[in-house]
Amino acid sequence: MSFDMEKAPSPSEPPTSVLPHKGRGGLLEARRNDGVLILIENTAEGDRLVIPAGCEATLTETYDPQGDDAYTTDSKLQITLAENARLIHYKLVREGPKANHQSFLEVQAQKSASFQSHVFLLGGARVRNTIHVRLDGEGADCSLNGLYLATGEQVMETHTLIDHIRPHGTSREFYKGILDQKAQGLFDGLIIVEKDAQKTDSSQTNKNLLLSNTARANSNPELRILANDVKCKHGATIGQLDPAQLFYMRSRGISEADARRLLIYAFASEMINLVEKASMRETLEQNLFAKFQRI
Amino acid sequence: MLEIKNLQASVGDKQILRGIDLKVNKGEVHAIMGPNGSGKSTLANVLAGREGFTVTAGTATYEGKDLLAMAPEARAGQGVFLAFQYPVEIPGVTNNYFMKTALNAIRRQRGEQELDAVDFLKLIKERAKLVEMDPALLSRSVNEGFSGGEKKRNEILQMAVLEPRLAILDETDSGLDIDALQIVAKGINALRSPERAFIMVTHYQRLLTYVQPDFVHVLSAGRIVKSGGKELALELEKKGYGWLAEGEKVAVG
Repeated sequence: MSFDMEKAPSPSEPPTSVLPHKGRGGLLEARRNDGVLILIENTAEGDRLVIPAGCEATLTETYDPQGDDAYTTDSKLQITLAENARLIHYKLVREGPKANHQSFLEVQAQKSASFQSHVFLLGGARVRNTIHVRLDGEGADCSLNGLYLATGEQVMETHTLIDHIRPHGTSREFYKGILDQKAQGLFDGLIIVEKDAQKTDSSQTNKNLLLSNTARANSNPELRILANDVKCKHGATIGQLDPAQLFYMRSRGISEADARRLLIYAFASEMINLVEKASMRETLEQNLFAKFQRI
Repeated sequence: MLEIKNLQASVGDKQILRGIDLKVNKGEVHAIMGPNGSGKSTLANVLAGREGFTVTAGTATYEGKDLLAMAPEARAGQGVFLAFQYPVEIPGVTNNYFMKTALNAIRRQRGEQELDAVDFLKLIKERAKLVEMDPALLSRSVNEGFSGGEKKRNEILQMAVLEPRLAILDETDSGLDIDALQIVAKGINALRSPERAFIMVTHYQRLLTYVQPDFVHVLSAGRIVKSGGKELALELEKKGYGWLAEGEKVAVG
């Protein structure tokens, strides 16, 4: 099946729905005054999306619960950004309590193309989100952001690979995890700077907040640098709520439970604030608020 | 309003307070002075209910209730306020939201109706003038990136918003230049009232030049070794704390 879009929808038209799989809502909004062609193919190997040269688009993927029983979601998506193309990708995973979700996203960014990703893992028994980005053209950039919030016995994994192939590329990676009860979180991120990718500017950060003594966070940030003129840094933290902050709030009359919620929300809000799209920010705030009520 | 009897407290296995007796009536301003390590800040923190400070003996009765049995948030609800020596930064929570949440939590505890956003904004803007606070700091994260003086002014602003009946100021003057000190003092003086009492913990006399206390107590090695009027602070400024510590040794020996 293929899907051609000859013209970008004007803001007054509803966004065109694409990627119509079961349990998966996809929204693609593209902006450009003169007509654009965005090619989407659904093949046996997964979906393929091409953002043409100079085009800006926003892709929103939402995975909603398919009931309380066990089921599996398996998604593969390949995206190519042509020269100077720009894509913002939002992904919201709120699968059912026994769902097994795995998704694999492969991105190729050509010269001066820009890819921005925001992934929010909120629901599912086992969630495994993988993103591979190839910065294939000179001056291409990517920014990968994510928040995983796991409780009960949920397991949430993030695996990323950013491959800097050509010079003057930029990558920013920022993932945060909030883990309660017996949940487990894993961040596994590799950045490769190839020999030709001089003047690469790259940073990788993973921060985890543990809300119980039985929750676990694993963080494996890794840089593999083969070029000699680059700026790269990475870091990871795993911590708990700060007792000094909790006491400060309680000394002002705020109950311990509310103080905890407020601090957890503050930790998460940093990721929400990176989201440009206002309607997405609102959705996320509502989702997180509902989840925190139960923490 | 507050009666402390034989209060003893330790941090870890180190005993800091060795029997404090203090009575504070409403409308009074008490200054607690003393050298470093004498237990001044411990006393302030024990009264506010900070974890890590263990009360080993004695009582603190506040308006007829056992203060030490209350959770920190309940003490705040009863009108106790601690201005922190080192105000805490809370990234991701705006000052406005923090103070509105605190005020409404206290109002709920008192059985009063919560303030809505509009009324709260009106209140905080008016109170911010009292400490000459830049309104931009209200929409920033709590204390994050504030200068030392801005943090201390923010403490006094919180006090002005929450309107406590017993305010404990822990080294509020430390780290302030003379201009900031005068602003902070002006804020404190504006909040003095016949219904409100203050306990000001301070190492130096200089704050007391601007906020004149009714009583001065000198703490040394976990005990109040001397009490007097405001003239005692001036005497300490001249003579230092040494003569009192010696006197205490004699008393103990």
